[in-house]
This record gives sequence, structure tokens and C-alpha cells, in this order.
Amino acid sequence: MMQKPSLSTPSTTPLITNDRHVSHNAIILVVERDPHVRDLEAFFLNEAGFGVEFATDGVAALEMARAIKPDIIITEVLVPRLDGLALCRQVKRDPATRRTVVLIFSILAAEGRAREAGADAFLMKPLAERRLVSTVRELLARQAGLAPTTSPT
Amino acid sequence: MTTSVVPDPSLFPRISTGNEQADEVLCGGFPANSINIIMGQPGTGKTIFAEQLLFENASADRPILYVTTLSEPLSKVVSYVQRFSFFDADKLGTEIQYEDLGAELARDGPAALVPHLRETIQTISPKIIVIDSFRAIHDLSDSVPEMRRMISNLAGLLSSYDVTAFLLGEYTTADIQRYPEFAVSDAIIELARQPLGTRDERFLRVIKLRGSGYREGQHAFRITGNGIDLFPRLVAPRVAPDYQVRLDRSSTGVPGLDEMLEGGIWSGTTTLLVGPTGSGKTTIALRFALEGISRGEPTLYVNFQENPAQLARAMSNFGTDVEHATSSGLELLYVSPVELQIDSFVVELFQRIKTGSLRRVVIDAVGDLAAAASDVPRLHDYLYSLVQHFAVCGVTSLLTFESGLSSTGGDMHEQRFSYMSDNVIQIALGGEERTRRTIRIIKTRNSGHDPVVRELVIGATGARVS
Repeated sequence: MMQKPSLSTPSTTPLITNDRHVSHNAIILVVERDPHVRDLEAFFLNEAGFGVEFATDGVAALEMARAIKPDIIITEVLVPRLDGLALCRQVKRDPATRRTVVLIFSILAAEGRAREAGADAFLMKPLAERRLVSTVRELLARQAGLAPTTSPT
Repeated sequence: MTTSVVPDPSLFPRISTGNEQADEVLCGGFPANSINIIMGQPGTGKTIFAEQLLFENASADRPILYVTTLSEPLSKVVSYVQRFSFFDADKLGTEIQYEDLGAELARDGPAALVPHLRETIQTISPKIIVIDSFRAIHDLSDSVPEMRRMISNLAGLLSSYDVTAFLLGEYTTADIQRYPEFAVSDAIIELARQPLGTRDERFLRVIKLRGSGYREGQHAFRITGNGIDLFPRLVAPRVAPDYQVRLDRSSTGVPGLDEMLEGGIWSGTTTLLVGPTGSGKTTIALRFALEGISRGEPTLYVNFQENPAQLARAMSNFGTDVEHATSSGLELLYVSPVELQIDSFVVELFQRIKTGSLRRVVIDAVGDLAAAASDVPRLHDYLYSLVQHFAVCGVTSLLTFESGLSSTGGDMHEQRFSYMSDNVIQIALGGEERTRRTIRIIKTRNSGHDPVVRELVIGATGARVS
């Protein structure tokens, strides 16, 4: 009885793509305390072809960033021990991690503070998977010095 | 709080109800990405309210999910909605998907709801989820902790994702304190039905709307083939910056009465004409209306007693051709007192004043409004607000009111109506046969008047003061 809606707008970015050029091997570190957001984020990012690792606080996230060298860190501002903005500043300061893309994804309208902290992009919650996935793709493409193969919506 | 926070509207989008007036009550609609409760006893219009909202918001990008639980059989919900003009069969199954979760919930208990919704989010990405009835899920569990856990979990899931939820239920006011879903909700809308004589009046009330202003109080509505037809409760107008008191006087059209009023009544004011039955109120009111027409002032005559034919006869007695009068700007509005619903009437009147070029309005008689009102203080609020709108729009109005035969002025409505009117004129019947009419001006705001009781003569051709 459940079915996908008929997508009459062709401009919509498909969630699953065979575009290995961008998504192949891309590892995303999600820093998030809310289990509902974490589950859905993991589901949609996996579905889009990305590998996902988790941290639930900023200090653990920084350690993981140094250890596993993710392509992107997606972090909430409101995480314990080291908040998302401070995490971003440290990632961007450390030569070992400074090339890692940081996306601030928060319930706070913190776009200005995110930019000040050196974040590459900001998205406001709640989670809307098309927006999230297209932003991630665009950031990866930019990092790879390539134009996005599908224009993000 | 002294500072007002104006949030960036693009950060906090709204979901339209599909009804312009309801959106107005909600100051723009429901906040998107919220959890909302639509509560009300069976038959109050919850499902229609929700369906109208769904069809308004349906689009090809992401579907809407309507989940029925234990009280509403799916087939009934779907077949009933087809009767409304907003129904669009092409959207069914694609843009709006219905699902019956009754059996699953009955088998696995309330805890089955959240995993099911999570899976739904992952498979179809719904932008709106309706659960009808949510209250019925409580009947599946005796365990308060179990329901609390489920609702907390549900709130967590729904608020993490870009989805707006509507929980429908046959809740009573007492349930608001009892059930945890009210604590996690962002908005609570109550639909109610109250008997009034042989009819029912329906009301919508906003109990809670987080992060937004809203119009308080009960707003009357009807259910029509187009869905909900709502009449927001009137509030006194904010005075328009260009509001100017009119400095001219309006003739009453009654020879001798203008002289008593030092040249007529101030234009833009409200006059209450009080008198017992048969004292000539309608005659004077008609004269006032026709005088307006003869001066090129568009005039609305509202009447609850005489039907248009009776009124036409009364007018032709004055030598007035009704057709000529109506083509010259006289508008007759007859509302049967049996059909009269105060809210819709006042809103209609208000809209005519706001949009039209009306200069005079007669309401014959305001007491009929009082008789039809289920809530008297509210009627007084309405009339007060209406009178304020008259003043702001520069409309000169005459309200008639039938007093008791003794005309002692002790009537509660009479006192209230006198208080809100600028001018009060009283007619009395005297003499042995009670055929001798006298007229007296009781008050005129910002004007002198003749305080003497004078004789009023009502003849076949009209009225005059001698």
C-alpha cells in the first residue's frame, strides 16, 4: 500500500546515485546526540552511498577526526564537552584535519557563527534528506575541485 | 517580556489550513515541523478540518500520510471526503496516502507506532502525517508509563525530521491535563459544537500555539460543501492613520427631528432608536435610509422581521419606488431570525463596510441579534466592535431596539446598547389608547439637543415631529 510518490519534477536529485566519482569511499563523521536524528541521518546517508561514523560529543569527534580522517564532519552545535563550533575551529586549525569539510547541522539558527568558526556550510534542522544529501554532494564535489555532476536542489 | 522577537519567516515556515480565515486566526497557519493536536467530540469536524488542510498542501514533491487507528475505519474516512469540493481523486494514493494501522496497533500495542512511522519516513519521506484518532491509542494500553515512553519517543522522531504532524482525537478539556501528548504539542486546536435552540453552533478555539500570536476566543464556523467556513471573532479595529472624524451632520429625513438634533446627527456616529412595538421605529429607520439615498449616500438596510416584500410595501407607502431606491444605492439585507447566526452575520456586515462605499447602515432591530445570541457578552463585544468600525469607516448608523411596553429602560441589552451608541432617541406610547407617540432625545455625544418631549406623528406617508 505504501508507494513512492510519482515524481513529476525531474529536477529532483535522486537519493541513490551511481555517481561513484563523488560518493565512492566518502566517509562522513556525524556528531549528534539525538538518537532519532542520528538514526535517520545514518539511514539517508547510507542510502545515498556514504559510509557513516558516529560521535556523540565534541572531544570524541575530534579524536575520531584525527584517527579516521573523514571527508566530511556533520555536527550539531549543541553537543557535550566541546560544542560543534569549537570542534569546527579546532578541526580547521589542526594541519592534520584542516582539509576536512565541516557542515554545521543544528537546531539553532547559527549560520553566522558557523561561518565565523570556519565551517564550509550550514544547514538548519529538522532533517530534510534531499537538502542534506545534495549539500553533502556539493561539498564533496567542491573539495575534489570538480563541478557537481547533478545540480543540487 | 518587553521586547518582541520577530523571527525570520523563512526559518519558520507555516502550513496553511486551506482556509483563509483559519489561517488568519493562526496568524498565518500552523508552524511547519510541528506536532499539532486537533481535538473535539465526535461530529465536531476534526476529520474535515484535517482533510481540507491535506488537500491544500498536497503536491507531487513529497506525499502526505493519513493514518487511521482504531476509531475511524479507513473506508469511511475516504468515502466521506469525496463529498467536498476540495477533494481531488488524482491525489489519492500518490500525493495523499491513506493507511489503516488499526490491526497492527491492536496486535502489537502502542509501541508499534513509532517504528512504523520511522520506516514510513525512510520509505516515502512524508511532509505531513495525520494520525486519526490518536486518543484511541490510549485505549490499547493500561500502562501510563508505556504510553508516556511511546509519546516521548514519537515526539523525538517527529521533531527530528522535516515533517508536520497532526494528532486528531475525541479529547475533552480535562484530557489536556491528563495526556502527555498535550505537553509535547506545539499547537492545540479545539473544535466544539453547542446547541442553540433547534440548531447547533460550531466553534473553533486555539488553546495553544507555540512561538506565535493567534486570535483568542471562540470563532464560529459552518461546514459547507467547500469544507470549513470560519468567521473569526471580531476585534475592535486598530484606528487607521487616516481616520478622521466627519464634521458634517446627517439628516434623519424626519421633519422636525433634525431640528431637535441641532441640524441632524453627526455623520459617522451611531444612534440607538428605542421604543415599544408599534411606536414607529421602522418608519423612522426607513426614512433615515431613504434620506441617505436621496443625498447620494449608499445605504444598507438590515432587517430581521419584515421580508423584502413587506419592506417594499412600507417604502412605497412613503411614495418611494423600491426599484428606483435600490438602483440608487439602497441595499436591503433580509436575514430570517431563524437562520441568524451572529458570527457569520456580523462578519458579513463588517466585510461590506470594509470593502464597500457605504455611508449609512440601519440595523432593524439589534434586539433580534440579542435573541439569536448564545453568548450575550460576546454579542455586546461584537456590536461594540462593529460600532467602532462604523466610526473608523465614516458610516452613520441607526440601530433600532424594541423596549418593553413600559419603556423603563431597565433592560440589560438596552443599557449596553445605549452605552455603546453615540446618540439615543426614545419613542414612547402614551394616552389612554396608547396611540399618542412622543419622542425624546436622551443623549447626543459632542452635540447639544432639544431635551423636550415632543409629539411624534406617524402617518401613512411617514413620520414627523410636531
